[in-house]
Amino acid sequence: MAISFEQIEQNLKTEARKLLESGKVSLVLAYGRGYDENHPMPYVAKHPSDVDNIVFNEYCTANLARYLTRYPRRTKIAIAAKAADSRAVVQLIQEDKVCREDLVVLGIPVYGMKNFKTGEAIDSKTTGGLSNPVLYDILLGEEVHGQPVSSPYDVLAAYEAMDKEERWAFWQRELGRCIRCYACRKACPMCYCDPCFIDQNKPKWGEKSPESPGNLMYHLTRFHHLAGRCIDCGECSRACPVDIPLYLFHKKVAKDCEEMFGQAAGMSIGDKPVLVNFRVDDSDKILE
Amino acid sequence: MSFEPKILGIACNWCTYTGADLAGTTRLQYPQNIRVVRVMCSSRINPSFIFRAFQLGADGVLVGGCHPGDCHYNTGNLYARRRLAVTKKILEFAGMEPGRFRVEWISASEGNRFAEVVREFTEQIRDLGPQTQFKISQ
Repeated sequence: MAISFEQIEQNLKTEARKLLESGKVSLVLAYGRGYDENHPMPYVAKHPSDVDNIVFNEYCTANLARYLTRYPRRTKIAIAAKAADSRAVVQLIQEDKVCREDLVVLGIPVYGMKNFKTGEAIDSKTTGGLSNPVLYDILLGEEVHGQPVSSPYDVLAAYEAMDKEERWAFWQRELGRCIRCYACRKACPMCYCDPCFIDQNKPKWGEKSPESPGNLMYHLTRFHHLAGRCIDCGECSRACPVDIPLYLFHKKVAKDCEEMFGQAAGMSIGDKPVLVNFRVDDSDKILE
Repeated sequence: MSFEPKILGIACNWCTYTGADLAGTTRLQYPQNIRVVRVMCSSRINPSFIFRAFQLGADGVLVGGCHPGDCHYNTGNLYARRRLAVTKKILEFAGMEPGRFRVEWISASEGNRFAEVVREFTEQIRDLGPQTQFKISQ
């Protein structure tokens, strides 16, 4: 069964119009046309007349949960959420950044999304192995079944097989290219700290110039801050202007967290993020 | 000149720091390579402390806390255990030698153990040699 993007777009428009006209929500987070069809942009529809601008196609990879924390609490928001995006919504609810009651989640079951820069399929890399949203109020299409199930951590195997010198050289090469534009932080739905640790001057946590050891400090700390919270949408890597595969490191940390603490990020509203939780019988072996 | 490792010790006020104190008052000998910073609880340790220490030229970082279950604040070290485990994994995946970062539970009465851990850790770092990967050149 192929995904009908037109059908999803139609459903999205219908539901968005209904919600805006009835006044149930004051804005709808969706996708709009960018400078051409292959480059859709996040779009906020505030009036029923805005709804015509909404589009949805295979390049709509952006994680709209990024924008939820920008609105004051009690703003009623409808959000179009694919599988990974819905996990971000769940994670934000867990962290009490948004209220479940304020949200209408328009779930989009989808696969076959493509990177707008390169056109390559992103399914096997950064969707967490999911096609259906984990949380939704209205599902815009039929649930996807029968897609090949791949473990979200399969792409890691090649990197885990490297020895530590190779890994060091690899990350040195990748992170050394970082120009510190902070697009990864801007695109990430979980990066909502204000100010970010790297922008603080007192204490100064890290170097701000785009040079290798300082880049490492920024990125390692960011990986740490997202430990057990990263929902594997891959937006950081797609937003990166120099194409650093940040998702690999995030995946690795997510995998370790899942192995050590037995819980993946953003799967259920009732969970607590793993690093603000503990079990008395956590093993000391995890520190070895 | 032979290599003298620089080691940052981060010790919790109630157990490890008191243990270090005991090691001192009982005149136990341990290497002077460790510089101990006292924090109120091992869960007060921001992982950035550790990354930053490596950036500023520490050859090794030793974190000391109460034994799980003995925390002065009941649950602090249980949070710290999870957090520092993640820190360790991150350093490892980035390609650092795993031996440069260590977490030990040392109680207030274990002065002997504190001296022993510091001795052992210093030797380990001495074998690994200077840490240059993370260091910012100044």
